[in-house]
Order: sequence, then structure tokens, then C-alpha cells
Amino acid sequence: MAFCGQRLSLGAQIPLSGSARDRRSASAAASASAPIPGHHLKCVLSSAKIPSPKFPTTWTRKKTLATFFSSALASAAGGGFLLHLSTPVPPPGNTGGGGGGGGWGWGGFGGGEGGGFWSQIFAPLAAIAREEDPAGGGGPEWDVHGLPANIIVQLSKLSGFKRYKISEILFFDRRRGTAVAGTEDSFFEMISLHPGGVYTKAQLQKELENLASCGMFEKVDLEGKTKPDGTLALTASFTESTWQSADAFRCINVGLMPQTKQMDMDADMTDREKLEYFRKQEKDYRRRIDRSRPCLLPMPVHREVLQMLREHGRVSARLLQRIRDRVQKWYHDEGYACAQVVNFGNLNTKEVVCEVVEGDITQLVIQFQDKLGNVCEGNTQLAVVRRELPKQLRPGHVFNIEAGKQALRNINSLALFSNIEVNPRPDEKNEGAIIVEIKLKELEQQSAEVSTEWSIVPGRQGRPTLASIQPGGTVSFEHRNIKGLNRSILGSVTSSNLLNPQDDLSFKLEYVHPYVDGVYNPRNRTFRASCFNSRKLSPVFTGGPGVDEVPPVWIDRVGFKANITEAFTRQSKFSYGLVMEEITTRDETSSICTHGARVLPIGGLSMDGPPTTLSGTGIDRMAFAQANITRDNTKFVNGAVVGERDVFQLDQGLGIGSKFPFFNRHQLTLTRFVPLKQVEEAAGKPPPPVLVLHGHYGGCVGDLPSYDAFTLGGPYSVRGYNMGELGACRNILELAAELRIPVRNTHIYAFAEHGNDLGSSKDVKGNPTEFFRRAGHGSSYGVGVKLGLVRAEYAVDHNAGTGAIFFRFGERF
Amino acid sequence: MASRIPREWFGIQQFPAVTQSKLHELLGKLKEENVSTLTILLMGKGGVGKSSTLNSIMGERLAPVSAFQSEGLRPIMCSRMRAGFTLNIIDTPGLVEGGYVSEQALEVIKRFLLNKTIDVLLYVDRLDAYRVDSLDIQVIKAITDTFGKRIWQRTLVVLTHAQLSPPDGLNYDDFFARRSEALIKCIRLGACIKKQEFEKSAIPVVLVENSGRCRTNDNGEKILPDGTAWIPNLVEVITVVISNGSKPITVDQKLIEGPNADERGKFFIPLILAFQYFFVVKVIQKAIKQDIAKESKPLWELRDMGVANRKF
Repeated sequence: MAFCGQRLSLGAQIPLSGSARDRRSASAAASASAPIPGHHLKCVLSSAKIPSPKFPTTWTRKKTLATFFSSALASAAGGGFLLHLSTPVPPPGNTGGGGGGGGWGWGGFGGGEGGGFWSQIFAPLAAIAREEDPAGGGGPEWDVHGLPANIIVQLSKLSGFKRYKISEILFFDRRRGTAVAGTEDSFFEMISLHPGGVYTKAQLQKELENLASCGMFEKVDLEGKTKPDGTLALTASFTESTWQSADAFRCINVGLMPQTKQMDMDADMTDREKLEYFRKQEKDYRRRIDRSRPCLLPMPVHREVLQMLREHGRVSARLLQRIRDRVQKWYHDEGYACAQVVNFGNLNTKEVVCEVVEGDITQLVIQFQDKLGNVCEGNTQLAVVRRELPKQLRPGHVFNIEAGKQALRNINSLALFSNIEVNPRPDEKNEGAIIVEIKLKELEQQSAEVSTEWSIVPGRQGRPTLASIQPGGTVSFEHRNIKGLNRSILGSVTSSNLLNPQDDLSFKLEYVHPYVDGVYNPRNRTFRASCFNSRKLSPVFTGGPGVDEVPPVWIDRVGFKANITEAFTRQSKFSYGLVMEEITTRDETSSICTHGARVLPIGGLSMDGPPTTLSGTGIDRMAFAQANITRDNTKFVNGAVVGERDVFQLDQGLGIGSKFPFFNRHQLTLTRFVPLKQVEEAAGKPPPPVLVLHGHYGGCVGDLPSYDAFTLGGPYSVRGYNMGELGACRNILELAAELRIPVRNTHIYAFAEHGNDLGSSKDVKGNPTEFFRRAGHGSSYGVGVKLGLVRAEYAVDHNAGTGAIFFRFGERF
Repeated sequence: MASRIPREWFGIQQFPAVTQSKLHELLGKLKEENVSTLTILLMGKGGVGKSSTLNSIMGERLAPVSAFQSEGLRPIMCSRMRAGFTLNIIDTPGLVEGGYVSEQALEVIKRFLLNKTIDVLLYVDRLDAYRVDSLDIQVIKAITDTFGKRIWQRTLVVLTHAQLSPPDGLNYDDFFARRSEALIKCIRLGACIKKQEFEKSAIPVVLVENSGRCRTNDNGEKILPDGTAWIPNLVEVITVVISNGSKPITVDQKLIEGPNADERGKFFIPLILAFQYFFVVKVIQKAIKQDIAKESKPLWELRDMGVANRKF
């Protein structure tokens, strides 16, 4: 039969829900989440074919073809009902075209004693592939039946040479004497014919065979009714298979159990032998149930099915189909993509037994592919991939699509592969078993990149001039996955002015060494060492409101940093390390400056401002220890961030460096995202309104150079003010509250913030807060709206009482 | 103190005999208390009459005075000796410039005063300035920041231009009382001194009239509208202040630069570090462990762990 050869796989493209983060672009800022442009992520979940060699399950994408039961119900011709449990042998072909008679699908027991049983056969229906069909409505090529109108024609009476157009398909229930109404009925799923199609007699006969063999019907027949316009109205009259009513339901997991062997029943067995045979089968089935494992199906669904059984009275084929659909739906909804109802057993008793193959994993295979998709030897050590896999993907667990997705996400976060596939595949050697295949395409180990850019620097009055257009560029190289252990070296050199690169040449060289405790150790510690330089405008030397422009002071840092980061969860981590750096303070002309300056009312510059460095020479060298612990259990609830985030950061001076700096500089940041309403978590549901509470305390004991002073004001301190506009101090306290209310698919928010120096401005050498006439504290409030990545907000500066509109990128908290 | 030997105080001879004898008597009293030098610091806003007061006390024209512009851009110290007693008076430039306290002036004064001991501060203001404003508070604050709160125990408020006719309907004494009260309150605010503490050691207010048109009494002494001779009175109040038990202020590097905040608490850093490790880092670590334990696992994971028991 045609369906035997058909094996269509169901490939599901699973979109990753926004968790694909490109590690390279989000190198420092953990919040930057960007979909990877160049990567191709795919999770292929091919359908699990039930490994019945003769009767493969076949799903097509075009039509949800329900699986079909093949029942070999013998009408109880003989004596009373006996219970027989068996697995029929489906004949390779099919018993004759379903003319009336007793011939019944496959596996009909000859004239037999009662006892219904179900085979675990899922006979596919997609016998006639749609492609063969003449185009539905558009095909003009059909023949008029050439018969008088409105007469009933048997299928056998039709001409074998004509192509008939079927204008209508009806199902007629003989037992009830009514036509089946509604196209939603499961019958319509079974028939591959559709109104408007053009079919030959042979095709119609084959269809009838399929219907007859599907197990739904005791009896089925196709008749045509001629229509005046030359088309045929097809009526399938049937008698549905039914069994005695049941009041108990049991669901068992038969995965990994050998299929029961079929014992042929000899046609000329004596009654006694037959009895013996059935008894044996019954015993076998009982044993099978006993050996089966409990299934995952929860009680609520179980009760639902029982309810269905109770309401229905007699167990009919349609009812079983509905039960199967319900059970399978639960499995599929919960992500058990490989779960299948394979059989109903124990029919004609009080209990319906539903046999399920849940999709037990027997093997986990990791494969590497080259660019052409051929299997090849990978450079990456398997343990690196294996430690990223959730344990639910290991042999002995039931395959769940969510575990597959998680594996995909975890592996993707390694940033080692350009293509990742997690693919469950049926195990040919073991029935009902699943082999999880992970196919990985590795990225190039080495890469180098050169990029150039033009930058326009705003000049006086904020307008760019022609001379301020500068060519800039970056040269970077990366050596990833050294020794297959995900170690990497990466370096980059950037200059925003290639004409004068010595002005601002920034470089970075970083070595990352993950799995410090060994790749098999679950402890996840990563060692990082880097050389860096940076140039930043110091917000300490900024004027307060109404102060003329303060001559800027640039802080150049060059140094070496080494630290160990231990990741506890994806977001929570603890890192500790050592920093050695040289800090140089420069003025506008790039010459070293030692003190801040201020424009005097007379117009001259007063150079007696706060000292810029600890040593007083404009150059400081120091070594200090640095530690940072982050606790972050925030998560997305329908797109809104909810949870808690605590960060404690500590810089501990060691007394090594210019003037032997010994200090303890600490910062504690606490942020709470409180949902104000309980919402259901599901895609498409609105996010809850969220109240964000934020507190930040910073303090420094010991030597405090001005570049390490805490600054107040700015988009990440107190909104509505410029960076450092409120002051520079030794101790800092910032409090903020924000209320986010979802509107459509974005949110609006209102906030109030306050920053205070706790009177510690005078404890910074030279009192830069007072020198530049800043307040030392300030509040602001305002409202804003989030537009994609951009926040537009109106913030009122409480010190001056004036408001302004700001556009900012990213989140405040 | 001053390295060179101060000149003899000849200016005293210009004073009327009554004043001279009064001054001698007061200085003698001071000598009895083992005080042989007296350093007086004059501070205040510009144009209030600091230099004139200096000249009046010394009886010489030592500091250049002009009605229309500030003359003293840098502090000057005048030292005079009389009968083994040295009187130093330091005149300083006005502290206000362009509506703000001039840090430059303050800086210059600080540098000038380095390694000197100040016995008395005369905070000079005008009696005929009717109001006090935030600028006065800022000036007081600047002085406090420079010398510390202690300076106010050794302070006299000097109100110049004492010979005035008060605005309509006000009695002279009333006006004086209200003006001095306002100024004292301003000092209390600017120096952040608690009220009770302040009341314990009240700052005396003295009136001064430097003008040449100042009336004199029968003895030729310059007198205030109420008839007291103001120079002996001023010196008398100064001696009272000196003998009130407080210590003179020695200006050294530490006082000028303020307490070095960098040194404060350095000793405790190891303790702070230990506290941070045990009470912050450990607490957060524990919270992370709780998070991991509490993390709501998806149902499929729970089922896999075998805790579902067919309930869900």
C-alpha cells in the first residue's frame, strides 16, 4: 500500500524566545540583549515515528491526519463475548475493497468469536497524496457521469474510465439513521477526498479500502448520487465500531517495552484451543499492564477522560478517538512532543486501557558538522557541550521539547557554534525510544576584523563643523575555543581619529579561561585577565547650575586586571580579582593637569581647584583588590521585569602605589521590581504594572582621589540633572522609585529620585562640590514612555524647578 | 610670632589721657594674667570698616583707607609694643566678591595666618546695614570652615558707623538691639552652633565709630551716641573675652586644610572589610542559594524529578 512508504517528518522551527544573546556584543553590559544577526538557530524536532516497521505513523503537514485504529472486531457471531487481547497481524495488503460484507480492514478474525481488541496500529490515511489529485476547483477536466439525475449508484457500478467530479461528501450513520452533521467531525478528518475534487473509480475504491481499514467502522460503504449538473454526491454510509461501556480508565506507559508478539490464530483451531489462545492472550496483556510504568498523565485529565466515558455509555470508535486526542493533546501541550497513544487495550471490559509511548530517551548523541553539513570531528570537547545540557535530556528521561529548547539556549550562550540543532529521533533498535541528536556547526576559531567609521564631534554651540568630522577605526582579532575548552584571547585597538591616533588610542587585550575547576566540575568559575585603557571625562569636575563651563578634566586609565568569576545562576555571580592601573589626569589640551580649574568672574582661570590625583602630580599608580557580588533573580513576566537585584561592589586598596593608597570603597545597590498585580504567565497576556524601588549607597574610608569620588546626578544617578551636576562626595545615597504601567506592548512610567551626599562633600580633597558651586543633593521627578529601546522622558529638576525632555538608551535600573 | 621686634606704640600717645590710662590699666590687667601679646584678627565683608577700625585702635594711619574702593587686597599685620606688651592687629581683605564668598581671599588669609596664634577675632559689620541675608551666613560659614567652631568663643562682633540716626520712629537702643540680635542669630546659623551652647557663651557686640566727625566728650575721648568712650570699651570687652577661659586659636596646616578626611577611619579598614565579608557578601551569597532553592521550576522539570505524583 502506498502509505507504507510514506515517512514525512514534521520539522518544527522553534523560535527562540528572545534569549539568544550574543556574548560578543554584550561583552560588558549584561543588559544588552540582541538577537544574533548572523546565526542560524534552529530546533528541529522531527516527529517521532512509532517504530512499527510495518505501519509507520505518518503525519503530513497539510492535514491533521488523525491516527487510525485498526480494530479487528469480530461481530459476535458465535457464542457469548469473550475477552481477547491481542495484537493482530495486519495483513500487508488489505482485504478486499470494502463492499458490504464482513471483511473488515485488516486483521479481521475470521468469523469470529467476540472479543474486541485494538491493535496498536496507526494506520495512516494519507494514501492518496494530494499531489495526485487533479487540481480541486480549477481543473476543468472531468467527465459528466452520463447517468440520469438523482439516482443512487454503487461504487462498483461506476465506469472505470471516467473522471468523476465529487460535489458533495456526506457521512450517513446507519445505526442512528442520520447524516453526520458538521464538517468538524472526526470522520471528515479521515477521508482524503474533498468536495470539488475529481477522482477516478480506482481512487474512490482505494479510498473506501482505507476507510474500511481504518478501524473506525464495522461496516462502511460508498455510494454516489448523480446530480443534474453531471457531478456526483458521495455518501459514505457506515456502522461505527462499538464495544461495551466502560467505567474505568487507565493510562500506562509502554515505552521501551517490547511489542507483544503476534501469534497467528490458526483458522482451524478447535474451540478449546481458541479458548486457550484467548486466555493466554488475556494473561499476556495483564502481564504487560503490570510491567508497564506509570505514566505522566495527571489526575485532572484522567478524570476528564472518565467523565467522557461515563457520559458516552457504549465505547465507540469515535469516543476512543476523542480520548486519544485528549490524552495526546495534554502530552503535546506540555511539551512531550514524542508522546503517542499507541493502542487501546482491554476493550469490552469495564476498563479502557490507554497505552502511551512517552518518548523515553535512550541515547544522547552529540555530532559536529562541517560547513556542508557532513558529520565531522569537532574541535570542541564534548564535556563543554555536555555540561550545558539539562539532565532531562539524558538517557532515562522522557523527552520534553522545553528541555530541548533549554539545551539550545544554553549551548547558544557558549557562543561557539553557528548552528545548533536539537533533534529527537526514534531509536530503530528500541521501540518507542528516542535518541536525542545534537548537531553543532562550529564557528571559525580565529577571526580578525577591521572596521572604519566617520565620527562627527559636536563643536562649539553643539553644532558640528567640517573640521570635526574624523575618520576612526577598529582593528580586532579573536582566537576562540582554544584547546576546545572555550578559552579565548581577544584583542582590539580603536581610535576615533586615525589622522592623529596618538590622541586617543584605546586598546584591549583579554584572555578568558572558563572551567577553572575543571570541565567536569559543576562549579562554574571563569578566570579573566585583561590589559585595558580608557579615557573618560571626569564628572567630578563639572559645574553646578548657573556656573560657566568648567574646563574638563580627562581621566586616562591604563592597567591590568585579573579576576575570577563564579557563576551561581545565569544572572547571579561573584567575582574577585586584582587591578593594577595608572591614572593620568589631563586637561583639554591633553597635557597633564594636577588641579581642577574654574573660570573666575573676571574671566581668568583659577587653577587652585581640587587636586585631581592623590599624589598631586597628575599621575597615580595603584594596585587594589576588587570584588563584586551580584544577586539577580529577575525574570520576565509577559515582558515586564520582575524580581530582585542586589549588587555589592568593593574596591580594597592594598597600600601599593603612589602615596601608598589604602582605602575601602564600597557600594551597595538594591533594586526591587514588585509586580502590583498577579497575572497569568503566557504569551500575549498583558504584563503586570511594576513598582521599581531602588537604593544605592556608596562610601569610601581612607584615601580617596577625586576620580574615585562618587558623583551625584546623571541618567543613572538622579535623572533630570547632568552627570555630576549635583556634586562629588565620599558617601552617597540615592533613592529612586518608578512606577511602570503597561500600555499596549510598551509601558509608560512615572518616577521620583533623590540623591544626597550625606554631608560628605567636604571630605573630598578640595571640596569639588563647593568649588564648582554644586548643591550636594537634589531630587527630581518626571514621567516617560518607552519606545522600543529608547526612553523618552520629561524630568523636573527639583532644585531649579524646571523640566526638560530627555531621550535615553537602555534601562535606568 | 613676628620675627622682627615690633615698634613702640606711639599712637597711644595721641589718645586723650583718660583713654591712655584706661588702656594702660587694661593691658596691665592682662599682663597680670601672663598675657603679654594680644593678636586681634579683623574679618568681615568688604567696605565695612575693618581697616578704619585698625587705624582707630592703633591711633595711626597704618592701613590705607578709601571710601570708594577696597584697598587691602592682602592681609597686613601691625604690631606695636608698649611697656613689654605686644599688640598685633591683622587686617584682612573683604571676604565677598561677586556675590559669593571669595575663596581666593580666604585662601590668601589662610596662608597669611599660617603659624600664627589668634587671640581674638573681631567680626566687623556695619550698624547701618539694616538686613542680614544668606551671604552673611555664607561668610560666617566660610570663617567657621576655616578656623573651626571654636573661633566663635573668641569673637566680638564689631558694628561700625555707630553714630547714626536710626530709621523712622526707632529708638537708637532698640535699633541696636535688633540689629545685633539679627547678626548674632546669623552667626549661630552659619556656624551651626546649638542654641543652648550658644547662649552659654554669648558673643559680645561692640559699637565703633571711626569717623573723624565722631563726637568727643569733655576729656576728648571719642564717644558713642550713648556717651561711652568706645576705644577703652572695645579693649575692655576684648580683655573680658580673652579671660573667658577659652584657648587662643593656633593656625597650622591642619587647621587650614581641615581635618584630613583621608586619614579618618583608616585604622578601621580591616574591621570594615571583615564586616563586609561576613555581613554583606555572605548574606548575599546565602540569598542566592535561597533563590536557587526557591526557583520555580517548570512543571515538566518537576515531573521529571518525580515529585508530580500525577497531580499536575
